[in-house]
Parts: sequence; C-alpha cells; structure tokens
Amino acid sequence: MEYILKNGIVYDPANKVAGEKKDVMFRDGKIVEMVADDAKVIDVTDKIVMPAGIDPHAHVAGPKLVVGRLYRPEDSRKGITNKTAVTRSESGFSIPSCPATGYRYSRMGYGTVVEAAVPPLEAKHTHEEINAIPNIDITPLALFGNNWFVLQYAKQGKIEELAAFVSAWLKLVKCYGVKIVNPCGSEAWGWGMNVHGLDDPAPYWDVTGREVVTALAKANEMLGMPHSIHVHPNDLGHPGNYPTTVETMEAIKGIEKNSPIRDQTMHLTHAQFHAYGGTSWRDAESGADPIIDYVNKNDHITIDVGQVTLDETTTMTADAPMEFDLHQLSGLKWANKDIELETAAGIVPVIYSGKAPVNSLQWAIGLELFLKVNDPWKVCLTTDHPNAGPFIRYPRIISWLMSNERRQEMMDNREVHPWSHKRTSLATLDREYDFNEIATITRAAPAKIYGFQDRGALTPGYNADIAVFDLNPNDIDPSRNPAAIEKAFGSAMYTIKDGEILVKDGEVVKIKQSHTLWTNVKGMEEEEKAVMKQVMPDFTRYYTVKFENYKVFDKFVPNPTVSEVQAGK
Amino acid sequence: MLSLKTITFNQKKTSSISLEFDELIPDEIYNWEKEDFDKYMVPIGNSRFPLTDYFDIEIEGSAENAGEVKMILNGDYGRVKYIGTKMGAGEIIVNGDADLHAGSQMTGGSLLVNGNAESYAGREMEGGSLTIMGNTREFCGCSYIGDWRGMNGGTITIHGNAGKQLGECLSGGTIIVKGDCDILAGIHMTKGFIQIDGDVTRWPGGQMKNGDILINGELGRLLEGFTQEDIVTNPEIEGKTFSGKYIKYVGDIALNGKGRLWLEAEKNRHLLY
Repeated sequence: MEYILKNGIVYDPANKVAGEKKDVMFRDGKIVEMVADDAKVIDVTDKIVMPAGIDPHAHVAGPKLVVGRLYRPEDSRKGITNKTAVTRSESGFSIPSCPATGYRYSRMGYGTVVEAAVPPLEAKHTHEEINAIPNIDITPLALFGNNWFVLQYAKQGKIEELAAFVSAWLKLVKCYGVKIVNPCGSEAWGWGMNVHGLDDPAPYWDVTGREVVTALAKANEMLGMPHSIHVHPNDLGHPGNYPTTVETMEAIKGIEKNSPIRDQTMHLTHAQFHAYGGTSWRDAESGADPIIDYVNKNDHITIDVGQVTLDETTTMTADAPMEFDLHQLSGLKWANKDIELETAAGIVPVIYSGKAPVNSLQWAIGLELFLKVNDPWKVCLTTDHPNAGPFIRYPRIISWLMSNERRQEMMDNREVHPWSHKRTSLATLDREYDFNEIATITRAAPAKIYGFQDRGALTPGYNADIAVFDLNPNDIDPSRNPAAIEKAFGSAMYTIKDGEILVKDGEVVKIKQSHTLWTNVKGMEEEEKAVMKQVMPDFTRYYTVKFENYKVFDKFVPNPTVSEVQAGK
Repeated sequence: MLSLKTITFNQKKTSSISLEFDELIPDEIYNWEKEDFDKYMVPIGNSRFPLTDYFDIEIEGSAENAGEVKMILNGDYGRVKYIGTKMGAGEIIVNGDADLHAGSQMTGGSLLVNGNAESYAGREMEGGSLTIMGNTREFCGCSYIGDWRGMNGGTITIHGNAGKQLGECLSGGTIIVKGDCDILAGIHMTKGFIQIDGDVTRWPGGQMKNGDILINGELGRLLEGFTQEDIVTNPEIEGKTFSGKYIKYVGDIALNGKGRLWLEAEKNRHLLY
C-alpha cells in the first residue's frame, strides 16, 4: 500500500527541512521519494509533520518496573481506562502497565524508546516485558558498570578482553549498548556502602569509577558500537555533585570515536540530577553552568536532561545507594534489590512539588540545561521516566521550552518556589525553542546519538515512522499558547509506525508488535571464545544460575532488529 | 440538611458477585430522572448489567445540586461495593449491611449504614461523616493498600466493633468506636484522633508519629515503643474533655514519634509501671 501525507509542514532536522510545506510518501513501511498516482492520500494540510519521536532514556521494562508496580499499588489506581475495541485497559501513572506504556507513547507520536538499564541476569524477563509493550520499538541497554568481570578487566587494564566480554555479553542478553550506572557504587552497595567521586575505589576490588568508565569507553570504541557508552555518573542527586560530573566527562576526552554516525564517545544521562552546586540541601544551588559549558565546548559529549515535571512519581535506578539516601531523606517507603555479580536497584516514591524549594530548584536546573545548550543536537528531551516524572509529561516540557512567558508566569505566580529563580539563572533566560529545535531534541538528535540509520528522519529508505500534530505553525505563537502546544503534542493527529497508522486523532486505532533493537558485533568470535573460557570458572562459582539458563534464547526476542557491526571498523 | 429529592432503591434481587455503586452518588445522579436509571448499566465483575434488573427506583422531588439529595437503599447491600465512594455532598442511608469500601474517599455529605460494613469503610476519607450502626471489619479509615496516606478528614462513628488496623496511616479526622477494637489501631498514624470506648486486643499506635488514641476500655497488650509519661485527670483532646483519669503514653519511640496514647486508668492498671 502506498500513502502520501499531503501538504504538511515538515520538520526533519536530519535532512535540514525546517517548516517546509511538502508531501511525505511511504510504501511498504518505508519512506519513498515517489508514489503512484493512485496512492492513498492523507490530507494533513498545514499540520506539523515530524519523524516519530525517539526517547533516548526511559525505564519501561524490567525487574525494577515489576517491583515498582508491586509495591506501589496506589500508583496503579491512577490512569485507569477501560478497554476499547482495539486496546486493552490501562492502569498506572508513573509506572503504567505494559500495554499502557505502548499506547501512551504512541499517542504522543513516539515510535522508539530506549530501556536504559537491563541487568543481564534479568534480561530474559526484561525481553518478555518488552514483548508485552505494543506500538513502540525498544532498545535495551545492558548494565556493565558494576559487573564483576568488567571490574576485573578494568582493574587489569585488559581492554581487548573487556571488549570481547562486552561483545559476547550483548549477544547473550540481546541488548543494544553499554550502560554504566554509578560505576563501582552499586557494587559497594553490596557491602552497604557507596563510592563518592570518580576516584573512590569499590571496596575489595581496588578499582575506581574512572578506570571502569575509561576502560568501557575504550572497549566500546574498539567494537565500533553504534551508541557510545551511556553513563549515569557517581553522586547522583547529591548537592555539590557537578565536579564529579565534569570529571567523568573529562575522563574519556582523549578516546577516539569509532563510529560513522554519532559524534560523541559518552552520552551523559539525566544531567539535571548531576548538576547541583552547594554543600547540602540547605545551600544547594544550580551547577548547570559548568556542565553545559563543558558540553558546549566539547564534541565528545551529548546529554539528556531528566527534566523534573512536578508530579508524584516513582524513582527507580540501579544506583541503589542513592535510593537508600533518598528513602532516608523523604521517609517514604523503599524497595531494594540485588542482582548478583552485576548491579543493584532501589525504588522510592517521590512527590516533586512546586511548593518544595529543592524540587523547584531541580525543575529550574533542568530547564537551564535545555536553554543554555548552544547546539540542540547535543541535548535530548527526557524525564528519565519515571524518575523525574512520567513520560506523558513530554508535551508539557515542550510547552515550557517554547514559552518563556509560561516559565516566567510559573515563577511569578509561585507555581514553583522562589529557589527556582533565586538559586538558578532561569529567570534571566528568554530563549524559546522553535519547532525545528523540538524536532531535533526529540527525534533527530536521539537518532544520531544512537547511530540509528533507519529512523529519526524522513529519509527515503528509512522506516515510515511519522508523527503528525494538529497545529499550524504559521498560525500559532507557542510563546503565548503553551496549553495548545501541550495539547497537540500530547495527542497526535497521526502516529505512523513502519507505514501503519497506529494513532488517529489521539486514539490508538491499531496495535502492532514491538521490535527489539540489539547489536551483534562481528569479528571478535575467537576473542569471545577465549574470554568465555576465562570467565566460566568464576561464573560457575559465584552465580546462583547455570550458564545454560542465563542466556536469552531467540524465542524471547521474537521480533528483532539487529544492528550488525564489524569490530574495529 | 434540606433534602428536596429522595431517591429510593428497593432491592429486587441480589448478586453473588458484588455490584459497584461508586458511580451512584448524589454528586453524579442528583439530576437523574427515572429514564436515566432505566438505561444505567451497573458494573458487576468485569461486565455491566441493567440497574433495574436489581432495583426498583423511586424518585420524589427534584434537586439542583448534590446537597439536596437523599438516597435510601433498602435491602441487602452485603454484595454492593463502593457505596458513597468519592461522595462530596448529600445523604445516603443504607437500611442493611454494606460491602467493601463504603464511604471510601468521601469528601463531604453523610453516609449512614444501618447494619454492618465490610472492610475498608471510610478508606482515605477526606471529609463528611460515615456512621455505621453495626460492626465493621478490617482497615476502616485506612490508606489504600501500599499507600502511606490514609484518612485525613471527616468523622467515622462505629456503634459496634471494629476490626484490625483501624485508622492505619490516619493523618486527620476523627474515628469513634463505641464497641471493641482489634489489633494495631492507628498504626503509622501521623495526625488525627481515634477514640475507642470498648476493649482493645493489642498494639494500638504502632509506628505512630503523632496524633491521639484514647481507649476507654481495657487494652490487652501495649507495644514496647511507648513510654508512660503521666496520669492525667480530665484530659482535653481535640477540643473535647474526657472525664476521669487516664494514663498518658508517648510513642512510638521506634520512629521518634510524639503520638499520644491515653488509657483509662482504672481499667488499665495492669499496664502501669
């Protein structure tokens, strides 16, 4: 079937199309340059057309989600909707059910989401959950930053063996890239401890976060992975943590990039949580400037923000010691999880309130990061869902970015606490994003950062992943109509995935099986065999599962999209 | 309260699976006419069925808002859940028992159950009054499963006995039990007042941080986290004076709590030290 989206106003930053009135055509699930005269016409005259959204960092599937849903039944009571002829019933606000996750992304015009933290031991379960999420493709990242074998190789400086280990493990667990969370800190949590700073060694290992991050960055580039290392640095959420963040970015500066698509060698995630000045929450202030200055001056770094949305939400992270600190701070209930030899996790509810000074400060710091970045290709829109807020708030964040008037109104009306302007520079920033920049931070930039060559743009041959929004950019002033912006981006006129119309006028009209994206590195087969021989004695000795039960079998990934890369190239 | 419109539900038959009445509150139906009830499908399990299969509905008078409505429910409502849930105004009288969640999340108005109420009566109540003439079971005036925010306003009066974990996570409002009460009344409470006129089996106020629990009957066992502070004559609590001598405990010290537990002195001499 051939289609032509007629007369839309197209924003496609990857192809340098910024608000041009033109047609977009697709056939058999792919964008094409031409279609036959009898192609089905979809009239989108003067409506915004963009590639489907790509969320570069969220937590949508895996054991943390399951624990979160189990211990927060009060969250599952929210967002309940009845089933329709097409969809199943939905539940949950910050931790929606699997079907609701797919539907809600789809309604916002999204097509791909990165699940940012898969413990390899729990990968099978994560893939099962991914299979239960419809309508969006999911890109899982595997956790390596506290893995015992990684710590050992990093300590010994054996980069080639480490690269072979990463390559072998990605095949085993069917993941797309390398995630590092609080390097050495989550391992320390096994002893009830944490590490502070990049040079604080993991107990009993005598290896530091700096060594782990640089070793994994080198291994990642040696393999020529499509995505860079994806780093959640040490000291998340602690006042005065920005020097650690800058040091982490600086630590890998000299490592040469080995990828034709992306520019960066490190993607720093949820930067807002790592951009705090001060020495305690009493004197906390924005540390956004040193972070964003570094990003602006260096091409080896990209970031996503992790914008606080001022909602009640659920925090969940492999940074388990941080979650314990949060539990101590808030007094709210806490769940803790250990993943043997690999990582840990913690879960705590959080109520981000505009009345609270600290939450307002966090809100403002996130916006500072967005508004101070020189090149929007270096920043992505995230809430670190659900940690800083649920992903369904992306349209609201877009409205904040496009409307200085709204931001000032929130500060003037005390919708946020005065710390938002007294301890940050937000009140002095009058920048407003335009639609092309919004398309960049939600579509083009994430695609480039992940090295995607089939999505994130309306390039002929790419997947026909397209979003249409019921807005005429020539008729609306986003600065003065933030509510209309939020409404339109929250309810796509059309969401098209692989050439199929999944959403029409904000309603899900079709369900589609998700694809799972993973990376298959070739050319390291012999090295992988040697490494497997090396690690097996310790695997057998320390894991409580047998290796035969560890691997993710093909049946767990029934709809794969495999990114084939040749090691070293 | 002035009721201008009376809506009477006369039960025709019961269901083995509970009906759900949370959509049938004065706030929602104050302007309904007979034909609205005739076409209404009531949730039962995972389906809906005509309300009129189960009830004859009589309507007298008219109302311009929920506050002018009185609903009278005649029959056995032991298999009807969520009576008065999220009710904000008006009056509901149940002439019989009520199933789970009666009066839960009420913000105003009054609900009278002239029988027993099942568990979760008055759960997360924010205002209004709930009166139960019989007994109620577990989790009356509590938080929802997993939540840490329970009842925070309004008044619950139970003329019979109450089950376990009465007023769990209470953060405001008043609960009065005329009869006896089972274990862990006021667990995790942070504010508000619980008065129990009968006997209490064990452990009221576990992990409470603040608020008052007053027991006029005999307490079986006290938690170790409470410190005996004084014996007070005619204490005044929440603006009300209680005649007689009461032993005042403070706790739960496990959480550095400042909650107050008042035990009628004569009946609880065995707990004095």
